[in-house]
Amino acid sequence: MVSHAIVDARSITAHHPLGTSTGHVVELRGQWDLLVRRALDVSTLAVELAALSEPEFLSLCDWLQDAGRGLPFRFLSVHAPTKQLALPEADLVELLLALPPVVDAIVVHPDVLERPERFAALGRTLVIENMDGRKGTGRTAAELEPYFAALPDAGFCLDVPHAGSIDPSMGVAHDLLDAFGERLRHVHVSSVDEDCHHLPLTAEDEEAFGPVLARCRDVPWILEADLPRR
Amino acid sequence: MPPPGPPPAWPGRPPPGVGSPLQHPVVPVPAGSVPGVTDTPQDALLELAAHSRSGFPHLVAARDRTERDLDDLRRRLSDVPRDGTTAVVMMGSWGRRERTSGSDDDFLVLVDGERRPDAEPQLERLESLLGLGEAKPGTQGIFGQQVFVGPMVRHIGLQDDTNANLTQRMLLLLESVPVVGRESYRRSLEQVVDGYLAGQAKDYRPPRFLLNDLIRYWRTICVDFAGKARAEEQKWGMRNAKLRLNRKLLFAGGLVPVLLCHLQRQDDQRAFLLDALQAPPTDRLAHAFLRYDAVDEGVRALGAYDRWIGLLDDAETRAHLRGLTREAAAEDPRFRDVRRLAKEFEQGLLALLFETRLSPLAREFVVF
Repeated sequence: MVSHAIVDARSITAHHPLGTSTGHVVELRGQWDLLVRRALDVSTLAVELAALSEPEFLSLCDWLQDAGRGLPFRFLSVHAPTKQLALPEADLVELLLALPPVVDAIVVHPDVLERPERFAALGRTLVIENMDGRKGTGRTAAELEPYFAALPDAGFCLDVPHAGSIDPSMGVAHDLLDAFGERLRHVHVSSVDEDCHHLPLTAEDEEAFGPVLARCRDVPWILEADLPRR
Repeated sequence: MPPPGPPPAWPGRPPPGVGSPLQHPVVPVPAGSVPGVTDTPQDALLELAAHSRSGFPHLVAARDRTERDLDDLRRRLSDVPRDGTTAVVMMGSWGRRERTSGSDDDFLVLVDGERRPDAEPQLERLESLLGLGEAKPGTQGIFGQQVFVGPMVRHIGLQDDTNANLTQRMLLLLESVPVVGRESYRRSLEQVVDGYLAGQAKDYRPPRFLLNDLIRYWRTICVDFAGKARAEEQKWGMRNAKLRLNRKLLFAGGLVPVLLCHLQRQDDQRAFLLDALQAPPTDRLAHAFLRYDAVDEGVRALGAYDRWIGLLDDAETRAHLRGLTREAAAEDPRFRDVRRLAKEFEQGLLALLFETRLSPLAREFVVF
């Protein structure tokens, strides 16, 4: 019989697969070779290439066409732009559709979608993220429901601190998993400050998030801040 | 059967006061200690489906279709002359209870005992009843054969355990269902299990001999896939998809009950394995997801597999995948979806094996 003495004390960093977002590496913004090298220091298995502004996104599209095939990650998501949006939405969708097959998921913020149904052509590659407490919509299961109704093939990205910013008891996070857990594709993990800026995960949040993350043991966890130091 | 409606409360949500399940104690989980989980995996898929909003409609439909087709086949084979030592056994999607519109008739005439020329039914008696048209069984010399249980069991390992012998033995254990000759089938299955357990089983230990052969079989399938891909480009897309999904289900669905023998005394492992192996692999996996408190992960994993069965049921998708070379698959949107489903399925299996209380067993016994 397996010994009771073998106790597997897990921490966030022991999760498989764990990866990082490039979004918090502000000093290297737009330098995709260097950003990916930094991400590889965290994990060769999972990554999120975050192109939060449209100019960054355009440079990422070019870079991925050349470098995409050589990337080692088993899970690669691209965070679609949420700022400095100048392109017509239909043109943005065309660019997202043209991303190379190495991209497993494309994360969008629901609050910036003008006409969600335009994104339907992205099929199961599209992933909708829940929003933080500062945003006007996309925060709760009820607010996300119309987006998934318009995009029935879309996956779900649970941003754990976003949900925690609305309900520190994490009830909203559990509601989101109850409603969209079958669509769950990956999670975002970090702590956030009062303005919802991402910070390395604190020990308190790690404990608070534990029961939520324990429902997400099969999907990649993407860190949206530096690895927590313990 | 109609898919069940949404669950009243998601079972993965921990009750108030329960701490982080990320710290999982390594204690055995006898089935009786988990509310609603029985000792047998039979129909566990439907239990897990009750926790899912989709209700796994494609798997449920495929299971219903298989039962209907089995009834039909039993009627058609009832008049075929058969001696008391043989059984006609269906394998593949029949055994997994996953028949779709494109499934073929992978069958064996299983003969209890040593090789002999007069075992009935002879294959020609079945020619007009099984494997007609597109349902013709695979052409690799595995199916559509008379197979004798004596040599199958005597040659576990070493030179005489040919690829065909290993494959037939494993498929008999992992994905088979008798059409006629249920008693002979049961005796044969017992002999195969005994062939692995005799002199090898230990109290509260997974049976290593069987475990090693199962892992060997899975790795053999993977190596043979690569060998076939080098030899011929044809059907790469379908073969790859089935390797990632159907074959992986088969392997994991065998791995779980073998690991769970660690809950059994040596004398009980035979009955435990025989009971578990009578259930389709989707039941065995669903049972493990339920028992090891991984309902969310199980719903996602088998939900992905369910969508794959839905795709397999579509003739146009099947034709598309069959026509896909490795090079073309890399850029193909439909194959990309299949690959994504396969990843989701695999992630769920990995979570079951390495992120639950099964983890110490997987670590202790699966790698070395």
